[in-house]
Amino acid sequence: MLSSTSASTLHLHSHATSFGFKEVKEEEKAEMVGNVFTNVATTYDLMNDLMSAGLHRLWKDRLVSKLNPFPGMKHLDVAGGTGDVAFRILESINRVRQRGLRDVFEDSLKADTQIYVCDINPKMLNVGKQRALEKGFGENGSLIWVEGNAESLSFQNDSMDGYTIAFGIRNVTHIEKVLSEAHRVLKRGGRFLCLELSHVGIPVFKELYDYYSFSVIPSMGELVAGDRESYQYLVESIRRFPSQEKFASMIADAGFQKVEYENLVGGVVAIHSGLKL
Amino acid sequence: MYRTAAKRLFSGASYYYNNARPRLRPPQISIASYRFSTSDIHPRTTNNPFQIPTTTIENPNTSDSASSSEADDAPRYDNRRARAEYQDEQSRVLQASLPYVIKLGWTEAALIGGARDVGLSPSIIGSLSRKEAALVEFFMDDCLQRLIDRIDSDESLKNLTPSECISKLIRIRLEMQAPYISTWPQALSIQAQPVNVPTSFKQRAMLMDEIWHAAGDNASDIDWYAKRTVLGGIYSTTEIYMLTDSSPDFRDTWAFLDARVKDAFDLKKTIQEAQHLAEAVGAGLGNSFQGFVGKVFRR
Repeated sequence: MLSSTSASTLHLHSHATSFGFKEVKEEEKAEMVGNVFTNVATTYDLMNDLMSAGLHRLWKDRLVSKLNPFPGMKHLDVAGGTGDVAFRILESINRVRQRGLRDVFEDSLKADTQIYVCDINPKMLNVGKQRALEKGFGENGSLIWVEGNAESLSFQNDSMDGYTIAFGIRNVTHIEKVLSEAHRVLKRGGRFLCLELSHVGIPVFKELYDYYSFSVIPSMGELVAGDRESYQYLVESIRRFPSQEKFASMIADAGFQKVEYENLVGGVVAIHSGLKL
Repeated sequence: MYRTAAKRLFSGASYYYNNARPRLRPPQISIASYRFSTSDIHPRTTNNPFQIPTTTIENPNTSDSASSSEADDAPRYDNRRARAEYQDEQSRVLQASLPYVIKLGWTEAALIGGARDVGLSPSIIGSLSRKEAALVEFFMDDCLQRLIDRIDSDESLKNLTPSECISKLIRIRLEMQAPYISTWPQALSIQAQPVNVPTSFKQRAMLMDEIWHAAGDNASDIDWYAKRTVLGGIYSTTEIYMLTDSSPDFRDTWAFLDARVKDAFDLKKTIQEAQHLAEAVGAGLGNSFQGFVGKVFRR
């Protein structure tokens, strides 16, 4: 906390960006974030469960239910290396099919559902691929694993029905670039959804949350993942992320319409959504 | 302060975090959010920093842990033209979905079909807050608009007696849902869902208003409620009757409707008397209640 106070009083260099509370060069941030996720890849899901007391599952369920997936959908899940969101979307679509939507979309089923999981970190993707095999999603070809940077996606314009990014946009160097890329790849009528750890505004709960973040989580990271630094970065990067309102206006600036957000657990996480028209 | 906080947590509000209570936030953090990215953020200072938006519970179907910023928030990010564009696109999708309703019912499948037809990604359906209900409500509004147009353009209606006019208008209105008759029970059940009841009730009330207005009634006394309730009753029973009517062109339904309207107009004559009776009964009950309470307290 102390170091951050002094850091914020420093004159901001034009090529500096934040890595947690530290100021680093823009070029270095991607690499440093990369290292964090390479370090934690194997224990990533376990740590998510521990840190959020299992709540992250509900948050992701909520994200997918807001997305409202449909059969024949082309979806891009960015920063979804371990496949958590992608699996949920696929399960949701399979449920929809069982409800009898299938006959309606004979034509579209030929162009089958495709969910692209894009992550900058190959280690995380490997964890995801492994889990897909375990869950039995390996064979049907709906999941496509792509290594790529959210700031310069390798997908065509107007090619996606949906775009989700869960707990990822905080870690990128240029949020605006990610948003404009999302806008580029989406079709008209396509939706952007972002699940991200955000800012708590409720007084007493905020103090508790701060204590939990700065004291409990790094120790937990040290104990479970053997890596205190990465989890220190995690909690710091949450504090550095723009507030709900500011992020919503950034989404609107990227060209999205009907920009909304929903706070979960008083703002510990927020789901932002936008529509491309 | 804590009551406000609790209200925020439970009632589903959205609010300005940074701006609303700057002193509660450690300064380095509030600065941090603006320093996050250095490249080209233009801090938007359009919001009045001391304004806390009113807490509204607009959307009845949001979960209690959640705060939603449905229609309420949209204006802050979108300019008016963009919002109008969104409304237009939404109407186009809903309009295009109606032909699918006959085959698929008032379902998401029909909406997906509609979205495809207007060249939008079906993802847009996810942005409708109450999907099937939005479709039913769109249809109700659409029918009401068509009815109003008909009232305005059809001169022959003005020469009818009030009872004939009412019966004719209900018939015109119900004939609009004749093509959807096989799926209409589903629409009614959607309208009857608790979250949708306020809107469907309002839409029906507006319909009753239009019909009474067209029949030349401009009452604003207590009769107003009685008349609309009676008409609402007639409309709804006829609507239900229609669901199981298999006669050609719903002939039985229209006979039923005429009979109900006639009954109502006979009844109308006695309404005034019924009111007097009700007042008398009320006064009587009040007296005995007072007497009862008096006895209780005397003891």
